[in-house]
Amino acid sequence: MINVYQDHVANTGSRDYPGNISGEDEDWTLDTFKKNFDIDISFLTDNEANFDLKGIDTSLANAFRRIMIAEVPSVAIDSVFIEMNTSVIQDEVLASRIGLVPLRLSPDWLDWVDPTQEAVDENGESQLNNSRNTVIFSLNVKCERNKNAPAGSEDPNELYINSNVYARDLKFQPQEGQLEFMDPPPTVASPDILLCKLRPGQEISLYCFAVLGVGSDHAKFSPVSTASYRLMPSITLTEDITGEEAEKLKKCFSPGVIDIKNNKAVVVDPRRDTVSREVLRHPEFRDKVQLGRVRNHFIFNVESTGAMEPDEIFVKSINQLRNKAKDLLACEL
Amino acid sequence: MSQDVSMASEPEVKISDKISILPGASADGSAVSFEIKQEDHTLGNALRYMIMKNPDVEFCGYSIPHPSEAHLHLRIQTYGETTAIEALRKGLTDLTAVCDHVEDVFRQKVADGNYADTAP
Amino acid sequence: MNRDSFVPPTSMSGLSAAAAGSNVHKSYGVRYLCANCASNVSLSKECGHRVLYKERSRRIIQFEAR
Repeated sequence: MINVYQDHVANTGSRDYPGNISGEDEDWTLDTFKKNFDIDISFLTDNEANFDLKGIDTSLANAFRRIMIAEVPSVAIDSVFIEMNTSVIQDEVLASRIGLVPLRLSPDWLDWVDPTQEAVDENGESQLNNSRNTVIFSLNVKCERNKNAPAGSEDPNELYINSNVYARDLKFQPQEGQLEFMDPPPTVASPDILLCKLRPGQEISLYCFAVLGVGSDHAKFSPVSTASYRLMPSITLTEDITGEEAEKLKKCFSPGVIDIKNNKAVVVDPRRDTVSREVLRHPEFRDKVQLGRVRNHFIFNVESTGAMEPDEIFVKSINQLRNKAKDLLACEL
Repeated sequence: MSQDVSMASEPEVKISDKISILPGASADGSAVSFEIKQEDHTLGNALRYMIMKNPDVEFCGYSIPHPSEAHLHLRIQTYGETTAIEALRKGLTDLTAVCDHVEDVFRQKVADGNYADTAP
Repeated sequence: MNRDSFVPPTSMSGLSAAAAGSNVHKSYGVRYLCANCASNVSLSKECGHRVLYKERSRRIIQFEAR
């Protein structure tokens, strides 16, 4: 247990190693791990997951978190070929914005672009990109005056056509055979992202290459918008707290943490607490309440950008860690 | 959820270059420093924990000598009952087993469906 | 060609159309956009478009999206 006091924390590090505490058996066995380890999923939606990993060390929980953010591959736009851009946004800035648009597209459909290949062959054709490793999106928008605009209107949305360019204007351009294995066809994950504004006569015409990448290379390749954990809070009442004091105690915690049963305060759901330490500001509670966090109980929250479901991202992070270990085992030493 | 997860990392490092033994290992092989390329705290700390859980290991630690160079150093010293290379092997094998079990449990819990399908 | 040998065009139809503000593109090569009203015009002495800038070419340029 990690202890949380008013002005400091204590007992923060793992110490479950063999020989650390005499008489305690901390030797690694898979059976002990299996006995202690458990997962509780509290909710799982198309783009967000919340689950508890219990009985696992920080180093492993943190490895999963880091891999989800930085090493699970996903697809993002990496090259933008601009034919025309007369908008007020500069080409470089527009390209950078387009690169950050999350795509709804399974990374399993694509191969890695082989960086050891020559960029072009003797005929000047691209060797790096082909229909197995690249998805092409195009964006063609021209702003015009709306001839049917209501008289006297000053609203750009009425006066002009295509005055706003959105992520949904990025259209998938299927290459040979891609529609056979890309089902449903690739789209942007969030259609309403505003990329740029236009005025009559201004035009954007471009196409872009989306390829596989990892978050450690660029954040646009990260499949998660957040992947984080917090430790399970622990609240211990060392003395009975009753009556008006119990009501006051209840207000010191997040809603639903403390309940009053038979005029007595009881901890019903410490998981809902934020460990704000508000309770320790009140002298009357300081000796009656012990705050802490459970060292090996991780409450994960994973939000997907839209390419994959969050449970798939977590499973891929496990696979990635296992592959790291297996790759090293395969090395000769 | 896709079952077939082929996660070939970028082909940057050839497998034989991935890990090497640094100079200065003890003659009996009980104290060795390794260098692992293209890895960071993600593997370093997880592997350090797994190796430290081995009762034959006296010391295990890792460092990333320079933040802008993508390699890590891993130091293992054993009590002499086993070699550092064997301790590393055991750590990697145990890590693989942990991943197997975590994945099994997670898949099982997802399949059980004992959770909300909307965020509160 | 020296200045004395320059013969002004006898027909005024082309010039009057440009002066009227319609888009008459003569083969001067370079096209211009009016900075005020965004209409596409060619260079003309008679035209009312006072501030002009060159139209962007449609040559494709590659950018890294990062």
